[in-house]
Amino acid sequence: MPQRVEVRRTMARANFYLQKARPVFLRYGLGVVCVTVGLGLGLLTQHYGFRDVALPLFLFAVALTAWFAGPGPAALAVVLSIGFFDYFFTEPLYTFYVSRSEIPYLIVFVAFASLVAWFSAVRRRVERDLSQARDRLQTEVKERSEQASLLDLTHDTIFVRDMDFVISYWNRGAQELYGWAAQEAIGKRSDRLLRTIFPAPLDDIHAELLRVGRWEGELKRTKADGTAVVVASRWALRRDEQERPVAILETNNDITERRRREEEIRGLNEELAKRSKELEATNKELEAFAYSVSHDLRAPLRHMAGYAELLQKKVASLLDDKSHRYMTMILESAKRMGNLIDDLLTFSRIGRAETQMTSVSLDQLVKEVLAELRQETHGRDITWKISALPACHGDRSMLRVVLVNLLSNAVKFTSRQPQAKIEIGSADGNKDEIVVFVRDNGAGFDMKYVKKLFGVFQRLHQSDAFEGTGIGLATVQRIIHRHGGEVRAEGVVDQGATFYFSVPKF
Amino acid sequence: MDLLGRILMVEDDPKDVELTLTALEEYNLANEVVVTHDGEEALDYLYSRGKFKTRSSDNPAVILLDLKLPKVDGLEVLQQIKSDEKLKIIPVVVLTSSHEEKDMVASYKLGVNAYVVKPVDFHEFVNAIRELGVFWAIINQAPPGSVRK
Repeated sequence: MPQRVEVRRTMARANFYLQKARPVFLRYGLGVVCVTVGLGLGLLTQHYGFRDVALPLFLFAVALTAWFAGPGPAALAVVLSIGFFDYFFTEPLYTFYVSRSEIPYLIVFVAFASLVAWFSAVRRRVERDLSQARDRLQTEVKERSEQASLLDLTHDTIFVRDMDFVISYWNRGAQELYGWAAQEAIGKRSDRLLRTIFPAPLDDIHAELLRVGRWEGELKRTKADGTAVVVASRWALRRDEQERPVAILETNNDITERRRREEEIRGLNEELAKRSKELEATNKELEAFAYSVSHDLRAPLRHMAGYAELLQKKVASLLDDKSHRYMTMILESAKRMGNLIDDLLTFSRIGRAETQMTSVSLDQLVKEVLAELRQETHGRDITWKISALPACHGDRSMLRVVLVNLLSNAVKFTSRQPQAKIEIGSADGNKDEIVVFVRDNGAGFDMKYVKKLFGVFQRLHQSDAFEGTGIGLATVQRIIHRHGGEVRAEGVVDQGATFYFSVPKF
Repeated sequence: MDLLGRILMVEDDPKDVELTLTALEEYNLANEVVVTHDGEEALDYLYSRGKFKTRSSDNPAVILLDLKLPKVDGLEVLQQIKSDEKLKIIPVVVLTSSHEEKDMVASYKLGVNAYVVKPVDFHEFVNAIRELGVFWAIINQAPPGSVRK
């Protein structure tokens, strides 16, 4: 059929151009030519003995003119036909004389020819309108199919369905995602085909869609091969001229993998939260244990010391020097252990206590600590060099512990120097922190053990050389770390040591 | 020592009791010390119930309270004392091994009158007990209604 359509379209288009675009004289010329050819054929047939053929031939010429050239030329053709007919085919021949008896005959001819011309004109107009409509339709169909094939190019899943879920368009993305071909999907209900699970009651979804014209949500669906898929679905409502909802355009994105990852991340987070809770609990237990041990160790120790003291008092007169020494050793050991426990308590408290961060004047703190150490520095020859220190941001009581430890260490480890020198100052830090150092010219240490310096119970000197518990520097490090700072030390055996710590600037 | 007040000591460790009493004895402060061994017994004494039913109803001049106690612990005893109209006027001294700031803060919040950490060193311990005894049992004017010898 398309070929016939094509022919008719060509005719209609020729017709259209002839009438509209061609000059007027061509159209009228056509009328003259048609009627003249009709006349020629009429004369020819008459010559070969055929009778009464002329009139239908003229009618045909009029119809042809009306068809191709329009009403004006058709009227001309009618007039010419009557003239030629009268001149060549009615008695008397070759005159324009019209006998009375022929008048009705001519009138009927004119009426009939006009009718034919009118019919042709109407028919032509209808034909033309029709062909124009068809052209428009063809163009539209072409555009639409181009658009549809464009939609096919996208990776996104797009399909169109009516208000009852019946699918009318299904792009390649949809085929790729769901595994159903367009011909399998179109005409089916999308909710059943894809076994859709909606996130909310369908009535609610439709209510929103009708209200705002759009809906977005996550749908759980099943592919053709039975695997589950989660899609982010966006719906757009299409309405007709009467504003009645007619179709829904659905675009879908496969978010199964994303969901799975999110699920995985959530799982990991939960696991992490659980672990950190466990860790926290373990930590708490450990702290409670350390506290309890330190605490409960003190009581028997106190008893030991107490009873030994009582014993010493009671039998003092009976004891020889050796026994006296034994008693003294017992009491000294008890005291040492007491200090050890106290230091352990301090150390474990650092981890548990909440830090109360304020502006701390390090100058003031150094003064306080020096006053506290007066008993230890009494009778010693120590040259102090104390530079001005900036204020810092930290927990005052904790920073005090830091300074007590570092300064009492400096005092302790210079005890064998006839002329002790202890320097406190600040080194260049960066814009966020300040670095404070405490330098002495005491016993120092070997740099190869520097890593052991800040460990709990790590001592680099024999206990009879310098007494101590080996917890002080560990406590210092723990406090500074809680402030987000760093500690380090430099030393040379018998030439002194320098301890640096950094704390946030105020 | 006419005005020596009665001391109520709440201490579960018999060695601590002995050492404390020895320390107080040295200064003749031990005669009027009542020893209870746990929180419940201490409260029984204060409310004159149980085995203390027959005691005179006067309040002690001071209570020396340990924190770690069987049954009812020291902080609970302290809370009970300080929330009782009749008992809350008795001075309470917490005498404990605990250096914990947490315990100290909790005690002060409950209205303790003094907080003393038992020193390991016996000399210091004796000094501490003596000073406590002298201050609370002799120097301090005990609130009305407490026993005076």
